[in-house]
Amino acid sequence: MRNDSSQNDPRKVWQAQPTEPSMITLEKIRRKVRDLNAKTRRQLLGSVAVLLFVAVFYAFGVKQFPTLRLPFALPIAWSALGLYFLNRGMWPQAMPGDAALSTGLEFYRHEIQRRRDLLRRTLLWSFAPIVLAIATFLLAVAKLGDKSLFPNALPFMTLVVVWIVAYFVIRLRERRDLQREIDELNNLEA
Amino acid sequence: MEGAKGTLSADTSQDDLYRTAADQFGAALERLARAYETDPDKRRDLTQEIHFQLWRSFQRFDARCSTRTWVYRVAHHVAASHILRERRVSKLVSLEELDALPGKQPASDHSLNLERLAALIQQLKPLDRQVIVSYLEEMDAAAIAEITGLSPGSVAMRIHRIKNILARRFHEGGRHAQ
Repeated sequence: MRNDSSQNDPRKVWQAQPTEPSMITLEKIRRKVRDLNAKTRRQLLGSVAVLLFVAVFYAFGVKQFPTLRLPFALPIAWSALGLYFLNRGMWPQAMPGDAALSTGLEFYRHEIQRRRDLLRRTLLWSFAPIVLAIATFLLAVAKLGDKSLFPNALPFMTLVVVWIVAYFVIRLRERRDLQREIDELNNLEA
Repeated sequence: MEGAKGTLSADTSQDDLYRTAADQFGAALERLARAYETDPDKRRDLTQEIHFQLWRSFQRFDARCSTRTWVYRVAHHVAASHILRERRVSKLVSLEELDALPGKQPASDHSLNLERLAALIQQLKPLDRQVIVSYLEEMDAAAIAEITGLSPGSVAMRIHRIKNILARRFHEGGRHAQ
């Protein structure tokens, strides 16, 4: 028969939970380090490849529409700068080695602040150039002067606008939630 | 050599430090992962991530705090980052809010109690979760304050609230089961 006091003691219940024998070995950890380094390299190469693809696309646009050189060149420069600023603020796959010197409160607040700042940077360096590029693309289509293109493009353009607005609203809401969390943590110390 | 609070000297190698800590706190880390993740596969990944970051962190271990504090800080940091990555923060509640929420269906079985306890913890914001997990691991207010960075008074107040919530919900469970 089970002891009633231990059955109702949450600490006993918690500590008595079944655990699996650990399958984590130092060899597995070292393999993870190697995988992590390879993944970081792949991600960086992927970002550069995307930027190159976008640059080629814009270069084609510039060639086709010489008068729109500036509107096409601006998103390229913006995206290139964004690549730098976004990668600088990306979630690190590994925590800083001295993270354990921070308390739970310090680390958690720092992580939320970083997440909030990353959202702002994403809007500024990734979302904004895309919006500009789409606007430029639409301008280029308008310059073609073919009015029959617009009715055909209307569903696509509507989808794009809905996506832009939804993305913007969701990110802003997320940012507001994070800010509220930061304020609550600040109040804990006040 | 291990001290009363699991203190290791700073000149021990990273691998040795990790091995000793994993032996000593492996089960506790697995329990901690349960407090942060319901999905078994994701929980396994989270546990592995905690071990990985723990091993990395021991490169900088300088014995300024006890190994236990170090291990729990790293584990909670990894788990809090996990919650942030999964974008669950806005759905979580503080201890005060949890106190006001109605409890779910009571149960008397031991495993069900564990599930209820885990479900209750998983509703909490990371900092309150750190306090409750540390409390369940039999740490005192001073040790919890060192891990979380909250003042001992604030920790004591939270523990008091946790005890009230747990006692009420588990007591309700036992009473309904009779």
